[in-house]
Amino acid sequence: MAFCDLKPVRIYSESAGITYYVGDVFAVYSNTPTPLIYSWDQVTAVTEDKRAVTVRTKNFDYMILKKEIASTEDYFRALAIIESAQRSGGFEYDHQRRILPLKSEYIETDPGKDCYSGSCIIDEGEAASTFVMLMNFRLMKVLWLLAVILMLAIFLGLHLIFGVTRSNVLYFIPISMISGAILTLLVYIICHAAARRKYTSVAGCDPASDEEITFLISPLGFAACESCTYDGQELIPWSSLDYFVESDRMFVFYKDGSSSVFIPKRAFDKKCIGGIADIISLRLEQR
Amino acid sequence: MGVEIKSEHIDIAGKGITLASVRGGSAVIGVCSAGYGAKRGDTSALTRLLYIGNNPVAEILCPNHGSRNSDKMISLCTGYYGMDEDIHSTLSECLNTLNHGSSLEAGLHDVLALLQDGVYTLYLSDYYPTDGSGTFFWGAYNLAHEIHGTAEHSRTIGKDRTYRPCFLIPGSPLDTYDSKTIQMTDVAVQSRAVQGIVLHVTGLHSVLLKGHHGAVSCTAAKLPFRCAVIEKINEPYTDIFTIPAPAPAPEENTQEENTETAEQKPTPAPEIQEQEGITGFRSASVKIPLELMPRDMTKLILETRFEYKPAHYRTLTRKVPQVRKKSYSNKLVPRPVLDLCEEMPDSEIMESVFAVDKLTQPQLDALLAGETECDGEIIISPNFYASIVTACNYLQYTNPKKFIEFSLNILDNPDLNATHEYIANRISRVLSKDVYSFFRAVAENEDPGYEKIIPIAKKYIAYYDKQKNDK
Repeated sequence: MAFCDLKPVRIYSESAGITYYVGDVFAVYSNTPTPLIYSWDQVTAVTEDKRAVTVRTKNFDYMILKKEIASTEDYFRALAIIESAQRSGGFEYDHQRRILPLKSEYIETDPGKDCYSGSCIIDEGEAASTFVMLMNFRLMKVLWLLAVILMLAIFLGLHLIFGVTRSNVLYFIPISMISGAILTLLVYIICHAAARRKYTSVAGCDPASDEEITFLISPLGFAACESCTYDGQELIPWSSLDYFVESDRMFVFYKDGSSSVFIPKRAFDKKCIGGIADIISLRLEQR
Repeated sequence: MGVEIKSEHIDIAGKGITLASVRGGSAVIGVCSAGYGAKRGDTSALTRLLYIGNNPVAEILCPNHGSRNSDKMISLCTGYYGMDEDIHSTLSECLNTLNHGSSLEAGLHDVLALLQDGVYTLYLSDYYPTDGSGTFFWGAYNLAHEIHGTAEHSRTIGKDRTYRPCFLIPGSPLDTYDSKTIQMTDVAVQSRAVQGIVLHVTGLHSVLLKGHHGAVSCTAAKLPFRCAVIEKINEPYTDIFTIPAPAPAPEENTQEENTETAEQKPTPAPEIQEQEGITGFRSASVKIPLELMPRDMTKLILETRFEYKPAHYRTLTRKVPQVRKKSYSNKLVPRPVLDLCEEMPDSEIMESVFAVDKLTQPQLDALLAGETECDGEIIISPNFYASIVTACNYLQYTNPKKFIEFSLNILDNPDLNATHEYIANRISRVLSKDVYSFFRAVAENEDPGYEKIIPIAKKYIAYYDKQKNDK
């Protein structure tokens, strides 16, 4: 099992007077001398929301408030154990939006000698600008088309209101062109704001956005994982991705048509970027 | 932080069980996961490493994503030339302590300190020094191959039953075999109460940590190879309790009416009671309910992972791909020892022994009549052929006379010819006049119904005649 070396997490819920253990099994110590222990295949669902992580079994729901988890490291460890147990336990897992892939996607394997690893905190501005770049990548043709349509529409509007004559046509053409460009620019700015907001809303849900992330690129797969939970023995195989896009600051991996992982180039040594790009481009289609 | 070892004795249904907990163990002996073996081009096989000290001892390839129902492929690691001296001397001291009459927990204290954190059960048990298919264990793992009986959940035994591991994986390569040491162990084994120390690895197989030469001597002298066994308790289990349906309350009506209604009313099905959570933790040989597990030991199980990588894991993995100078050994185990191993029970027999509690004559008669049930209960398995095979293996171990009788009855029945080849192979290991007469008749008549077993019959006749002439 991936992440099998992570130490189990003990969480004491002061409000309920219950101690939980999240490890190879899920244990509940309440007032009885013997704990109630569930193997992960006895858990029916786990829900992670802004406030709590709820573990559901056939008869009981156990709500673990996030504020009662002693440290951020414990929180990430508990989530990593739950997500990797989900792969074998098969329970339902509802979670908030993430900036990093789920731990259930990892397999335990040796990355080998030819791997590159680095770590950094994902910079919000950097990620947002990549979001914008990706938006540009998608919207540029649409924006040009929008600009032309707006120009024609404004010109037609002016013609209907004032009537185009030989004397005013030289004013109407630049007016319609400038107005079309301004309106398109407004649309573009709104889209920028939406893209930035999209990243900040995802990052706001995921505490990993404030944590140091370890990135690993190997011929067998890649990893993007909180440094406090990663020991360099787990990878997501390349076969689970579709294609990638390279910007000047990041590699963006896509899965099922949407961006899946952002790998900042500054996490690695500058001289390694060429080698990393080679590994990725040999295994994924570049768009 | 120093190592903290505690032991407890608990009683489960009148059976005393010794438990030992290890906290802060040095983890220089153990098994750990080594991920998916992508180097073999098979991304569905999970690899585990058995290690002693800084050396990987054996690679255990677990197919089907490490499925607990699948047998494993095991091979001694290339480049492994024996354990470190300090570990070897610790093990030797422990074996001596055990043979000076100390208790298991006291005798194994220093060995436990070398293991991973967790809760272990300690007991004494007789081992067959084979790989589970009649090959002497010491030289049986040089090349990777599937070892029968290494699945954690044997399909024959079922995942709910416990079993006692009884086959061996060597903890030292055959290169360490020394015929001079054998001369000493030949004498020593006669007076030893405990011949070896083993750590359970998977299924019916344990790694022999100490007592390799003793195993040769014991086999040659036909002495039982009694080992001190260390088994990790880490698998959660859930028992399903079946409550028999309550008898219906007698109604106030006449006897006649009662008989009528009894015919009409279906008997209520027994109620299956589901317990909340797991029942307890188990190893191969014991199941410990949570109520009986000492509290600090339960806590220790919850606070540690079931199997984790030791601190020197990267050293181990670096050593795994080292090329062995030779994949064989020049050392030779004495031929009589190898021959005696072939006669020992194999993993199929032992699985059947652990799968069946008892077989009564009515049950055997029902099986011969083609039934899988007797008195409304499934005898062994709903699968008829699996039942026949398991019954034969069970009888071969427990009652050889009945085994011959039962097997010959099966071979006499042409309707059961799907099992004939297997049974003929099994029975051909036994020297018996009845078997000889049967095979002689088969070979002489050349009945097309016995086509598959004629070669076995001819081989048996030749072997029997040779044995008779030798005598």
